[in-house]
Formats: sequence, C-alpha cells, structure tokens
Amino acid sequence: MTEVLIYIGLALIGLGAVSDLIAAIGMNRFKNFYLRLHAATIGTIWGAFVPIIGASLVAIGYEPLGYYRWFVAGAGFVAALLVLILAPAGSHALARATHRARIVRVEPCIADHLDETMCIKGGSE
Amino acid sequence: MDIVVTSITFLIPIFLLAFILYIIRAIKGPTISDQVLAIDAMTYDVAAFLVVLSIYLRIPILTATAIVLALWIYALDIYIAKYLEKRELGE
Amino acid sequence: MIDPQVLVLGIGALAALASVVAVYFAVIERNLVRAVVFSAIQSTLYALLYYILMAPDIVLVYVPVAVGLYPAVILFLISKTEREEKP
Repeated sequence: MTEVLIYIGLALIGLGAVSDLIAAIGMNRFKNFYLRLHAATIGTIWGAFVPIIGASLVAIGYEPLGYYRWFVAGAGFVAALLVLILAPAGSHALARATHRARIVRVEPCIADHLDETMCIKGGSE
Repeated sequence: MDIVVTSITFLIPIFLLAFILYIIRAIKGPTISDQVLAIDAMTYDVAAFLVVLSIYLRIPILTATAIVLALWIYALDIYIAKYLEKRELGE
Repeated sequence: MIDPQVLVLGIGALAALASVVAVYFAVIERNLVRAVVFSAIQSTLYALLYYILMAPDIVLVYVPVAVGLYPAVILFLISKTEREEKP
C-alpha cells in the first residue's frame, strides 16, 4: 500500500518538475506580458500545486520520516490549497492593473472591448 | 538505495534550471509587470521545492516554511497592482 | 550517489550568487519601483538560503518582514514622492 503511494507521489513530483522547466522556457520565449500569463499559469498550477500534492503522498508512505510524516503531509496539503487559491488571484490582479494603467498594449489582438485604443490590429504573428 | 532519495536527486537539477531561467526573466523583464509575474511564479515553485527538499533531507519540521512563503508572496502582487492602478486613476 | 548535505550546500551557493546579481541591479537602478522589485528577488533567494542553512525559525520571521512589510512601506513612501531618482 505505501509502495503505491510513494510511486504515485514520485510520478507527480516528476511531472511537476518537467512542467516547471517548460513554464520557465515559455517565460523567456513569449513576446508579451499577456502571453507570459499562460506560462505563469503552467508554472503555478502544474509546477507548484501538483508537486506539493505528490510530496504529501510520498510523505504519507515514507517510513524514515518517523511519526512526523503526518505533519509533512498536512502542511503540504494546506500549502497546496493556498497556492491553488492565491496564484490565480494574484495573476489576475496584476493583469488587470497592467491593462488599466496602459503599460503594455495587447499585441495579437482581435477585439478589446475594455479599451479600444490598447488594441493593435493584425499583430506580428 | 532508497528509491525516494535517488529519484529526487535526479529531479533537483531540473528545478534549479527552471529557477535560473525565471531569475533571468525577472532581472531583464521589459516592464515591472513582467518582473513581478516572474518573481511570483518563481516563488510558488520555490515553495514546492522546499516541501520536496524537506523529504529529501529527512527533516520534517522544515515543511512549515512553505506555507508562509506561499501566503506572503501574494501580498507583493497586491501591493504592486495597487500602486500601478492608483498611479493611473489619479491621486 | 551524492551526499545530500553537499548537494544542498551547492544549491545554497547558487542562490547566494544569484542574490548578488539582484542586489547589484537594485543598487544601480534609477527607477525606484524596479529597485523594490529587485529587492524582492533578493528576499526570496535569502529565504531559500536560510532554509538551506537549517534555520526554519529565521525563515518564518524573515519572509513576512522582507517580502510582506518592507515593499509595502517603501512603495507607500515612493507614492508620496517622485518615481525617478535624480542624478
């Protein structure tokens, strides 16, 4: 039973690490702030929420931690829940403030009903 | 050899490479929003990395720092967003 | 296989090097808000560094002060004055 939990948890941690690397590459490759929000979504949900859940599952089945492994599992689940709630809220607040303060213009744009002057029709790609 | 320690040893360089790429974007980002977004994503990943590292080192009491880190980096987002928005809307 | 303590100290060395770069950019930056953001990078890396040096109580105190309180005070101060530093 504990072997299964350890294998599932390690698979989740590996998935989280790989998607973390993908998000970091995307953060450097995208051209625009609004496009980088996609990479930030990958990096926070798949790169932070999933490995914390995996680490909690590993901690439940990992004997050398002793009796404190329940503490690791509980703290991990609480941290994962906090990341799941706070990361999209923070990204949304930042994107809304950036759009309202007119810092970055929307580059590949079809329609922008909030502010028409921010829209660059027929972007580069 | 323990399967957990062996697997995490091979996963740690991937995390480190991701952190270095995030720091590059956080330092050279064209606008303030890009920098704050990169710091935000990097810090949530650091919180995940801390939980993994406490299992790797077998010191379970170190896990409590991840909760604090995930809670307080949200405050930086809100401060910067409030500052940018207030500057546009007038004093 | 690598000894865990040695590998973790290597991670700490990388974090220390990156924090030196962030502090250098924070010192030479003219735009004060960007300087606050560079300082936030340094705070996050120092939290990782204190964790690696096995001081979780220091992390519990350092993170609310350096990530939460300090940028709030500095941004409130900048909003009262000018945004660009005069040469």
